[in-house]
Amino acid sequence: MTSLNSKSAVRKSWWKKPIRIFTQNKTPTPSLIVIYIIMVGIFSIFSRNYLTLTNYKSIFNNLAVFGILSAGVAIVMVAGGFDLSIGSIAGFVGVVSTMLMMQENPLPTPIIIIIALCIGIAFGLINGLIITKIGINPIITTLGTLAVIRGCCYFWALENLRIYNTFWLKIGRNFIGNFLPYTTIYIIVIYIILTLMLKFTRFGRNLYAVGGNEDLARLAGINVDGIKILSYAISGFFCGLGGIVLSSQLGSGRPEYGTGAELEVLTIVVLGGVAVGGGKGNYLGTFIALVIIGSISNGLVLLNVPIFLRMVVKGALLVLAISIDALRNRKRLKLY
Amino acid sequence: MADNPVPSSLKRERKFYLSNTLILFIVLIVMVLLFSFTSKSFHSVYNLVSMLSNLSFIGIVAAVLTIVMIAGEIDFSIGGNIGLTSCVAAFLLDRGINGWLVILICLIMGLAIGVFNGFLVTNVGVNSIIATIGTMSIWRGLAFTLTDGKSILAINPVIDYLGRGTVFKIPFPVILFAIVFGVCYLVMDHSKWGRKVYATGVNPMAAYLSGINVKKVKFVSFIFCGMAAALGGLILTSLTAVGMPQHGMGLELTIISAIVLGGTALGGGKGKILGTLVGILILSVLYNGLTMLNVYYYYVQIAQGAVLVAVVSTYEIRQKKRY
Repeated sequence: MTSLNSKSAVRKSWWKKPIRIFTQNKTPTPSLIVIYIIMVGIFSIFSRNYLTLTNYKSIFNNLAVFGILSAGVAIVMVAGGFDLSIGSIAGFVGVVSTMLMMQENPLPTPIIIIIALCIGIAFGLINGLIITKIGINPIITTLGTLAVIRGCCYFWALENLRIYNTFWLKIGRNFIGNFLPYTTIYIIVIYIILTLMLKFTRFGRNLYAVGGNEDLARLAGINVDGIKILSYAISGFFCGLGGIVLSSQLGSGRPEYGTGAELEVLTIVVLGGVAVGGGKGNYLGTFIALVIIGSISNGLVLLNVPIFLRMVVKGALLVLAISIDALRNRKRLKLY
Repeated sequence: MADNPVPSSLKRERKFYLSNTLILFIVLIVMVLLFSFTSKSFHSVYNLVSMLSNLSFIGIVAAVLTIVMIAGEIDFSIGGNIGLTSCVAAFLLDRGINGWLVILICLIMGLAIGVFNGFLVTNVGVNSIIATIGTMSIWRGLAFTLTDGKSILAINPVIDYLGRGTVFKIPFPVILFAIVFGVCYLVMDHSKWGRKVYATGVNPMAAYLSGINVKKVKFVSFIFCGMAAALGGLILTSLTAVGMPQHGMGLELTIISAIVLGGTALGGGKGKILGTLVGILILSVLYNGLTMLNVYYYYVQIAQGAVLVAVVSTYEIRQKKRY
């Protein structure tokens, strides 16, 4: 089909070369950095406030919840699974912790934090058990869990759910020296710990193995079910943490919080290089993708783009991200 | 792999299939009886008509989505499609465009949406789940942008007949549902193209090697799904007489639950259109009956999610027992 004549090759498939730039390198990181620089350039031309310190503080503070959630989802996706119930778990954790704090003699705050994290782990374990032991497709399972947990949020929520606990509010809102948010420190520490785990522990290598080829991993003696359950439990833990930070930043624990988080987190994780089938991906790419998506959301607001158009842009971004991922990772001989 | 000789495993396969649909029918009848006894208004004519109309527009989308799922793909963007169609229809009707022309334009738009989805999944090679989740928010966002978040009144004699007209006291959507359903059944069970869809679902590589153009089969099924969702959107617009960008939100879960309830496997290759019918009936009766009993909306959502997980677990456990 492709002609040997170089001129007609350029004419016929001129779109292939730019696509190749983004999809043929082993890691997505260089192209992501290029995208980010181009994007910052575009936004700063159109809006005078983009390159300010205040704006960057705002970007990084708003990234917090998505960053924590995508840490968990990245682990699940590296092992080959899917977790669509992250928003519901985060919302539920927010609701429950707010209600625990609103009682007359509230438990000490560290205990509430531990309870919240345990709830997240519990939901993650439920997801993992249903997916491995009963064998339902992870997407359907987590869709079902999404609906059930979201329903439970509304079921248990009372009318007035404000948070007045100052320690809790400081978790998501404080800054160090007026320029570095606490939440950025959380994200950096979490990502570093998880990267070390993925690269240097047996569990991390097993995650990549299970994601790469599940049957071969089972034949190699890896406890595939256990690894999967653990990955969902870890995702649940980070959803709990994300729910804590979310309720802290928003100052309340309303049941509708976290709705629609799955879309953005999925975009971030896939754009960052974690392949959809699993087996590939690292946190550096996820972090850069996180910054890109956060900057785009922020830039759209600064450019006064109407809110509904922002939804379209986010959907288009997801489609773009997965298209790049598909072109990058599909096998050479994709005949069908 | 089964170590049994062929005849007894075939016998077990047929028994497995019969019992599944039989169980569903029994569940359906039990639910209808329960709701008729516990709520006086359940078996009134008015409730029946409204339930049937609602069921029909969901059923049209579900029947064609079953074809896509049998081929091995999923289309999550049906909800956004319905919202966009309804907003475009209301927008055009507001400008005074002829009802028939609006129907044509919306169907063509549904076709275009199906083409876009199909292109992403077959030509670019994206996983259909994520691709359609992404396109879902594109269509939903476009719907919101078009109407600026407000709803537009959509009153027009042609469009009104689509959802609220009756033919010999049977609501018109039911007739449309019967036609679409009948066509889907005939295509899937009694036509060459239907066998091709089953083949691509079970094993795409083997289908390709047998000479089936797998890309084309999947592409065409996405196109049909887009058009069916557009038709569903038109019916919903007519039923509610407004074009809201929120139309169809959350519908994906219901429809996919109904299809999976009906026995269609998620990986594709297995599934019956009749099963989808029973699944739709069960979920509609459940929703309608619980609403008649004044159950809080979010409990209904919990119930739908729980029913989905419970029934699919039953199928999976029964399937695993064979080995």
